Amino acid sequence: MPAPILELRNISKSFAMTAALSDVTFDVVPGEIHAIVGENGAGKSTLIKIMTGVYQPDGGEILWEGMPVSIRHTQAAQALGIAAIFQEPMVFPDLDVAENIFISHRDRGTFMDWGKLYADADALIKQLGVALDAHRPASGLTLAEQQTVEIARALSLKVKVLIMDEPTASLSAHEVERLLSIARTLKAQGVSVLYISHRLDEIFRVADRVTVLRDGKHISTKPIAAVTHEALVKDMVGRAIDTFAVKTKANPHGDTVLSVKGLVRQGVFSDVSFDLHAGEVLCFAGLVGSRRTDVGLALFGVEPATGGEISVAGKAVRIISPQQAMEQGIAYVSEDRRKLGLAMTLPIFSNISLPSLARFLKAFGWIDRTAERKVAESYRERLSIRSPNTETHVGKLSGGNQQKVMLAKWLETKPRILIFDEPTRGIDVGAKAEVHNIMRALAKEGVAIIAISSDLPEVLALADRVLVMREGRQMGIFDIADCTQESVMALATGQQELAKAS
Amino acid sequence: MESLRKFHPQTLRLIALALVLVLTVVFFTSQIDNYFSPRMLNRITSSVAVILPIAIGQAIVVMTRNIDLSVGSLVGIVAYVMGGFIGQHQGINPAVFVVLCMLLGAFCGAINGVLVSYGRVPSIIVTLGTLALFRTYLVEYSEARTITTDSLPKWLVDLPSASVVEFGGFDIRVIVGLAVLAALVAWLALTRLRAARQFYAVGSNPDAAVFASINEARVVLIAFMISGAMAGLAGFIFLAKFGNITVVAGLGFELKSVAAVVVGGVNIFGGSGSIVGVVLGTVLVDVIDNSLIRWAVVSEFWREALLGLLIMLAVTADTLMTRSFGRLRGSQN
Repeated sequence: MPAPILELRNISKSFAMTAALSDVTFDVVPGEIHAIVGENGAGKSTLIKIMTGVYQPDGGEILWEGMPVSIRHTQAAQALGIAAIFQEPMVFPDLDVAENIFISHRDRGTFMDWGKLYADADALIKQLGVALDAHRPASGLTLAEQQTVEIARALSLKVKVLIMDEPTASLSAHEVERLLSIARTLKAQGVSVLYISHRLDEIFRVADRVTVLRDGKHISTKPIAAVTHEALVKDMVGRAIDTFAVKTKANPHGDTVLSVKGLVRQGVFSDVSFDLHAGEVLCFAGLVGSRRTDVGLALFGVEPATGGEISVAGKAVRIISPQQAMEQGIAYVSEDRRKLGLAMTLPIFSNISLPSLARFLKAFGWIDRTAERKVAESYRERLSIRSPNTETHVGKLSGGNQQKVMLAKWLETKPRILIFDEPTRGIDVGAKAEVHNIMRALAKEGVAIIAISSDLPEVLALADRVLVMREGRQMGIFDIADCTQESVMALATGQQELAKAS
Repeated sequence: MESLRKFHPQTLRLIALALVLVLTVVFFTSQIDNYFSPRMLNRITSSVAVILPIAIGQAIVVMTRNIDLSVGSLVGIVAYVMGGFIGQHQGINPAVFVVLCMLLGAFCGAINGVLVSYGRVPSIIVTLGTLALFRTYLVEYSEARTITTDSLPKWLVDLPSASVVEFGGFDIRVIVGLAVLAALVAWLALTRLRAARQFYAVGSNPDAAVFASINEARVVLIAFMISGAMAGLAGFIFLAKFGNITVVAGLGFELKSVAAVVVGGVNIFGGSGSIVGVVLGTVLVDVIDNSLIRWAVVSEFWREALLGLLIMLAVTADTLMTRSFGRLRGSQN
């Protein structure tokens, strides 16, 4: 094996009290595709940020072509030849493709040579073996096209190590193929690709070596030929695979609490129909961009549907505002805790009482602060929110605990129907299991639950039934017994066309 | 409608703006006697000459997702301080004097810029603060005295009535030429200069700018320094135009410049905008402003209200446009 181009030795990094990375060591050799796998919270993002100069490690050293270096900022990473592309591409929507590609260049003269700019951009795009008009503004590009722009940008900067962070998470099957072929093209040109993905099948197809991280620690680095699918998963989760898929038995379905027929939001999604029963968990599966969240937002009245019927407990209702949704007993636990869910600068108890404040009023509209705190305290115990008391500001809590506060806040509205959007995104493995248990317990109490999730193992672990969406269309509803990771993925990515609803 | 699709939405917006401008002029021509005259042209162009440089600087700041509310106070400081300075240094070369005015402006702009980009204070707060601070400093510094034309050198006093070109009774004044020159330089720089793309990049997607190894803080600082320098140039033009400078010089120019910029199609959320648009926006705002003084139907006190209304209209129209455009291409989940 040739000498490594990039080596990380004993890298550690902590944030406040939690260690994101401890003692991680691995290397990248020229012209290899090196996969990095690990569950959410395993430390992959921190590792990427250290390699790209966004974070500085607390300990350990980085070697570039055998020489110790410190990557102080993104410019330094760029100067070495390290670049990264992300699931959410980093493009400038107001600039066109060619401008986006060459935005980081300092050596192309003081003045713009527009003719040369477009010619060079075309040449780079061609080198990647794809077709893309260099004149198009980036705001109109698909995610896959935006990634191509980013890869071309990296290539133009003589990239030697290209980090791809979950590059295929939002792509269609066809686009995935194109990305994999781009990765192979880069490899053939001597570029090393660090390929970070949850999709193990892709890793087995393109990677030369694979490194597993778990809980911020380096678990293994092996040639791909030396590992099996099962062994990899075992390394990732740290336990044998049979316990991994353990699932509470599906509840017997209760009454239909929500019935949706032909729900449409013009230009966003169309023809979504399903029944939701008391005590069941219905998961919305699909890729990012499949409009699952939009269906959730329509049911909660944030972005109301433009057509179709919604009935709650057998009664037809019209929901055009969250207020109306809450009156029907619908609550929405949003994915973006920071933007849509929580007031970060307020204490836990104020956050919990916020949507149901009317019930905490005393005479003359004064807020009953004692009652507020009492209720908050009961949730703190029930959901085991880890904080000294309920006065703690929500912004100071970890992601998992914030998620629990958000859940408490909506539970206090006494909902019949709970919609979860990515209930465990960005929270660690332990908290994830707790959130899952809480959700199952709620279902057992008779709450009807819709969970929107991109995390397939989560879907399979939680759901009684699965509704698969793709590009604003409902691809089918399945009983969990009939679902496998592969069958859901095939529908979500469009490898398999519309299935019969069961 | 289908043929309109060919144009970039920005281009469509400029065409629409030009149409509104023509309609406004036609409207006032029908309302005000002797409207389309050399006198009115001079009145409007020399008013545009003061606002245009400020609007250009403001546009660059707004492109980076910031705002500069201190420009009015800056015009006041430069006009007053430099007016006093030239009273003592009558022999100074005019070109050197203009550069000094711009340097003083750029220095004040750098104060804003450092606080915004390195101090991480939102620009609306920083420049709201310096709006008051610069003005108060001016009041203290001036001790409520007025700079009069008597103390200024002859070339400066004569400057506003000097013409670059004349045709059929209409003429273009030197101070107007200066503002147009500034616009021309800014237009060339923003379309041709490689480094200028960074203003758009930083405003378009600040996170991506970090990963594209653009020094965001420096770009924002430079934007504020340009805004300051442009306010300095406007301060010089103001000094030449009026001759008599009091402590209220430039009061309210921040509102006018923001109006010109957003009416001119610079996205208030950063990332896009063109100098052509800013010029059209400035002219439209000034035409309305100056015509209302002469229009008998409404009181001239409505001028500010109308400016405010124009800002809100322009931004609302843009937001609606972007939203429907965004829907066309389908935003993410």
